Amino acid sequence: MSPAAPEGSSRAALRDPVLAPTVLLLWAAVSLFVLYPVTRLLVLTFWDGGPTLAPVVELVSSWQHRRALGNSLLLAALVGGIGTALGFAFALLAVRARLPRGVGGALDAVVLLPLISPPFTAAIALIFALGPKGLISYHVFGIASLNIYGLGGTLLSETLTYFPIAYLTLKGVLGNIDPNLEDGAFSLGARRGRVFRTVTVPLAAPGLANSFLLLSAASLADFATPLILGGTKFPVLPTQAFLQITGLYDMRGGAALSFLLLVPALAVFIAQRWWTERRSVVTVTGKSGAATSIKSLSPGAVALLALVCAVTVLLVLTFYALIVVASMVRALGADNSLSSAHYAHVFSGGLKAIRDTLVIAAICMPLGGLFAVVLGFVVARTRFPGRRALEFAAMINYALPGTIVGIAYLVAFNDPPLALTGTAFILVICYVFRYSLAGTRATTALLAQIDPSLEEASASLGARRDVTFRRVVLPLIRPALLAGMTVLFIRAMTAISATIFLVSLSWSLVTVRILEGITNLELGQASAFSVLVILLVYAAVLLASLAMRWLNAGNLGQAGTLLGG
Amino acid sequence: MSTILLLAACLLLAAPAWGADALNVYTAWPESLSQPIFKAYTARTGVPINFIRLSTGELVARATAEKNNPRADVIWGAPGDGFAAAKAAGIIEPYRPPTAENVPAELKDPEGYYTAVSRNTLIFMSNAKLLKEKGLKPPTSWSDLLEPAYKGQIQTADARTSGTALTRILSIYYAFGRDEDKAVEYQKRLHQNVQVYTKSGGGCTIPTAMGQAMVCIAHMPDAMEAKKKGYDMITTFPREGVAAVIEGVALVRGAKNREAATRFIDWTFTKDMQDLLDKNEVYMLPTLPGASINPAVAALMKEAKLLPVDLDWVGKNRKRLVDRWVNEVIKE
Repeated sequence: MSPAAPEGSSRAALRDPVLAPTVLLLWAAVSLFVLYPVTRLLVLTFWDGGPTLAPVVELVSSWQHRRALGNSLLLAALVGGIGTALGFAFALLAVRARLPRGVGGALDAVVLLPLISPPFTAAIALIFALGPKGLISYHVFGIASLNIYGLGGTLLSETLTYFPIAYLTLKGVLGNIDPNLEDGAFSLGARRGRVFRTVTVPLAAPGLANSFLLLSAASLADFATPLILGGTKFPVLPTQAFLQITGLYDMRGGAALSFLLLVPALAVFIAQRWWTERRSVVTVTGKSGAATSIKSLSPGAVALLALVCAVTVLLVLTFYALIVVASMVRALGADNSLSSAHYAHVFSGGLKAIRDTLVIAAICMPLGGLFAVVLGFVVARTRFPGRRALEFAAMINYALPGTIVGIAYLVAFNDPPLALTGTAFILVICYVFRYSLAGTRATTALLAQIDPSLEEASASLGARRDVTFRRVVLPLIRPALLAGMTVLFIRAMTAISATIFLVSLSWSLVTVRILEGITNLELGQASAFSVLVILLVYAAVLLASLAMRWLNAGNLGQAGTLLGG
Repeated sequence: MSTILLLAACLLLAAPAWGADALNVYTAWPESLSQPIFKAYTARTGVPINFIRLSTGELVARATAEKNNPRADVIWGAPGDGFAAAKAAGIIEPYRPPTAENVPAELKDPEGYYTAVSRNTLIFMSNAKLLKEKGLKPPTSWSDLLEPAYKGQIQTADARTSGTALTRILSIYYAFGRDEDKAVEYQKRLHQNVQVYTKSGGGCTIPTAMGQAMVCIAHMPDAMEAKKKGYDMITTFPREGVAAVIEGVALVRGAKNREAATRFIDWTFTKDMQDLLDKNEVYMLPTLPGASINPAVAALMKEAKLLPVDLDWVGKNRKRLVDRWVNEVIKE
């Protein structure tokens, strides 16, 4: 029955009968599944009879690695900036342009496509669409010598892959902005542009910063896209780390390069913190008046947004049309006769991988979703000592390239007493501790908009902190829980870099089958698996939206819109 | 709360995953080539084979990380340089199958750490339609690839990820009379015509088949796999020659099913298994003298001038060759 006020001292937080054990459990989980494997790998890398920086010194002297560091930062900034802008455009159009219901739903469905595609597939579709003899570049525009390998192709592919994260984040944030605030500005005589600049954008700022962070971090950790599209002209750190390990058989060097990546990741994290905490962006106060109609976008602005979104949508649709076609013909380009052979293979030889993946995803979602919102809540709403350190520790696995996380897990969990390799559990924890960040971010961003007085009211009526969390906070942050769980499901269906080291004979994954398809030159099989993954994810997202709408029963409209209802 | 759930899930799922009676194999061969052979072994002996396919580098990295508690018993079907790395990392142990003495000395490690399952080599694969459009003949020499007509039209593998790329570098090295500087100089000029270096060795075949590039330099099995699918491709060899490389097998150090593993390795060097390379149309040559050779492979191989490779030298010099590729060939 302790007072649950966020303003309470950290000493009070330590005595809280619910909070203290919760935080301890979070720390225990993060220590075991993030800090321990990373430490094992750090020791392996920087301990050679004594501490040594030799691996790093050696690597930094290589021209490729020096350039890779610069390229990684440039790419992360560009993907973060352009992806956030694109996501914001889509979110504005979806939330503010009063689109017909069907159009909004269709927009959501298309926007999700790149996010839910298995790795490699999208990059390969991009090559076939925009490459030297590409469907769009050559057959539509007649350009025969377009070089997509390098910064351009990598940037385009990563932006299209990750901007949906910005869209999902910003849609929730924009939906939470009370239109009365904008109305206030209008009634004071401000024009649309000014209202947008001085009211809408500042209110969306935590969302924008979050999305920039998420996109930059995603770009910093992505190795699959630059591996295929970067070529030798555009080396980036995660790819170099991967190549160092798998190509030069140099695990220490690869690990050292990966730890270099933590530096920019930490910088982005601190910048984001500083930015969001300077401003108050409370818009859900519990005393909100009647919502008025939204008029902050002029018809011209809507038309411009619609154009940007339409071009993006067309580009994305072309990529996926190519994948669908490849899955339905005998051998794309050689024998274009219709064939169901690839799907027959998926539903015979591939059935086990599909089942395994679904089982693992089903376990990941509730575990990771809960972990994400509890962590987000502890970080945003309590004064618990060390909560920043906890938040940072929890994002390490996300910031590191997957190859490194996979190898760290192998090193840490291969020997008794923690011999987890070969089990489904190692895949589950890998996903939970690598991909819960989206849920945590969504939670903190939403909580930044919700006035703590709601919880204070609950506490002053005598509710315990866990009751307040369950009855007041959880309903308010349901969109974040939903977003977090959906991202986890998507990742379980699509991620590969870490899990390639963790799959076993008992537990296989669809993504590994896709990679096999591509390595075996079975483009058709890889495409058929990809189409199946996309359909499964759509089904899951649809179910999640329906469940959320049913749960909410009208008390929180934006939950449905977060993933398109 | 989440931790409790996690621990519960742990108890539910942490069932032993690797069967005691089955043999556990890591392979770098595509499933289409390796699985029929593993299935044949199971059919003959009743011993089930569990296998994971990984790229050579991933395979070595994974086995190295698992060194203290090995999960695999045998590494079967990976390029020779991967085995050189595995030997250096201390993850394999010497094992000489009884019939291995029939295998020529240049096809096995002198200390017995690994033995060649098959011989493999490099091939040029060109898109017939594109060549015709430009009025070009398929390349039959390493110097043909330097023609300006091929600018931005050649795809081949990245030396840091692919065994195919090492075969390419070795082919050039031996074709230039083992003059390393000349070989590097040639590669720099070749680089001017390369559109992209792909991650996997076979990565250039489908894009080339689809007209993204004109020529793909790949291992023979990958190129022939694409051709089998019906793409209109022409295969040629450079007349200066191509390096004859090996695909090997080795026993994992501390293998849990050591006896089953050695029996499987023994079977690898019987006529029974070596004949499967012919029957399954694997475009590689058997290493056991007397094994039957697929006529199509034999016919193709007749065109190739195979340059013998010194395995020991490759093991010791691979890193420098790849480093020079990174620091001289692709540096701009």
